[in-house]
Amino acid sequence: MKSNNFIERSIVGGLTFLKDSIFAEEVAQRGGFLQSLDVRVKIISFLLFILQALFTGSIPALLFLYALCLFLGLISRIELVFFLKRTWFFIPLFSLGIAFPAIFGPGEPLLSWQILGAKFSITHQGLQGAVVFVIRVITCVSFVVLLNITTRHFDLLKVLRIFKIPAIFIMILGMCYRYIYLFAGIIQNTYLAIKSRVGRGVQYQQGQGMVAWNIASLWDRSVGLNEEVYKAMLSRGYQGEALAWNDFKIRTKDWLWLFAVILLWIILFLN
Amino acid sequence: MVICGNTIMDNIIFELKDVYFSYLGKFPALCGIDIRINQGQKVSIIGANGTGKSTFLQILDGLIFADRGVLSFCGQQLNEEIFNDAKFSREFRSKVGFIFQNSDVQLFCPTVKEDIVFGPLQLGLAKGQIQKRLEKLIATLNIEELLDRSPQQLSIGEKRKVAIASTLIIDPQILILDEPTAGLDPLTTRNIIDLLIAENNSGKTIITATHDLHIVEEISDIVYVFGRGKSIVKSGLANNILNDPALLKENNLVHIHSHQHQDKVHVHPHVHLEHHV
Ligand SMILES: Nc1ncnc2c1ncn2[C@@H]1O[C@H](COP(=O)(O)OP(=O)(O)OP(=O)(O)O)[C@@H](O)[C@H]1O
Ligand SMILES: [Mg+2]
Repeated sequence: MKSNNFIERSIVGGLTFLKDSIFAEEVAQRGGFLQSLDVRVKIISFLLFILQALFTGSIPALLFLYALCLFLGLISRIELVFFLKRTWFFIPLFSLGIAFPAIFGPGEPLLSWQILGAKFSITHQGLQGAVVFVIRVITCVSFVVLLNITTRHFDLLKVLRIFKIPAIFIMILGMCYRYIYLFAGIIQNTYLAIKSRVGRGVQYQQGQGMVAWNIASLWDRSVGLNEEVYKAMLSRGYQGEALAWNDFKIRTKDWLWLFAVILLWIILFLN
Repeated sequence: MVICGNTIMDNIIFELKDVYFSYLGKFPALCGIDIRINQGQKVSIIGANGTGKSTFLQILDGLIFADRGVLSFCGQQLNEEIFNDAKFSREFRSKVGFIFQNSDVQLFCPTVKEDIVFGPLQLGLAKGQIQKRLEKLIATLNIEELLDRSPQQLSIGEKRKVAIASTLIIDPQILILDEPTAGLDPLTTRNIIDLLIAENNSGKTIITATHDLHIVEEISDIVYVFGRGKSIVKSGLANNILNDPALLKENNLVHIHSHQHQDKVHVHPHVHLEHHV
């Protein structure tokens, strides 16, 4: 099968991406430190870390937070290389757009040169600002990614509920999530079905048509499914406000962790 | 055990009189159905694809409502308004459980466990009691290791078991099942049938739609055959219906097998019921 096939790339590639990025809950199910914390406590402590990283201007404090994040990753059984790849992936985007122009900002020149009569200089303050910016971004991104990969998505959704986000909103998010998965499966099967009917070579033009058709039929199916799912909910007693089961438990370990985080937060804040 | 609150009227649970239903007003799905279902009965609905079996069951469960004709539950007429009454609705939903033909639509929660406890939570059962029922069902259906998985990632048979668990946990007096054994392996089918028979022996009413003639005899006191006209063409004891090859053939319920033995071909009609039991 040719690997530059249009359908292959757009459908199968997209699905693999979806499954890998959104549905990879494999890390969240490993038994590491962060995975063992109560989800609510974990979210609060991560919010505290991120706030700290946003408000501190000190390079050592930021480096400390970043190192802490990597350390937490390590004790949560996350491979360093995998984690670095996932997080540094975002950096070029930010640094090119924001950090790079900043190094030319006003201040004492460190290095100057002239191009076509215009004078450029990299300034001390500019450079420091850019470095702080990059470390801050990488620290925040790392914390978000770390939270994300060590927590099951539905636990995150349930915590939203505890933080008083309306149930219907969370229900919809949860169902979207579930049905994206279902539809991913449907498309994959449809693709296989088409392939088995037309043989191995699906031409580019034909391929585009099929993708369009797929999206249209998907919409139809989602409308039909919604109705059916609604009936299934009614049949089991749903009356507009879904009640959820949560068995979150805060243990001594969680309290200790939260205490340590708050202490650290105060120390960093006072410096 | 009394479902309807009073014992008059021979314990009729469902009574349909000349019920018509069509989808979107133009695709007829039921044309003139008359049925009475008594408490504790085992009833099965058989018929070819598209003869309105699923539609009929959904009408019984108050999920859709007849265009014409009357459906009553315990002598009380069912219509859209009555379900707006939260109390009635909760009572009805705790008495009547429905297992959908397509398990994918029945399972909409993030994990199997949440899906199973969805019903009783909505119906306001206490957590301790839910937990107890959950443990019992896990043991009977042998689904312990599925609990923390996403329903999406299960095989068809596993999904079906979870769907069955999610309805049985409500402990309804009346169980409506739409093709409960389609796509299941013989042993799982056996377990599910045994489960249904046990439920029926404890007094529950079982209403099943199926194409699977193997299971019909065991799960029915009365069989209704739905025909292409989307109405009941015949009803009667399982034995009588299953021994009427012309009727079964007419309704796509048996097929003619042609076997090839070396150079001889011989053809005979084949009622699937003869195989196991
Ligand atoms: N959502 C719908 N919209 C329009 N028509 C529908 C819809 N659902 C069912 N029908 C039609 O209603 C008729 C009865 O369908 P129903 O699903 O009740 O049949 P069934 O006996 O359960 O079939 P099967 O054995 O295939 O499950 C069919 O002719 C079908 O085409
Ligand atoms: Mg059906």
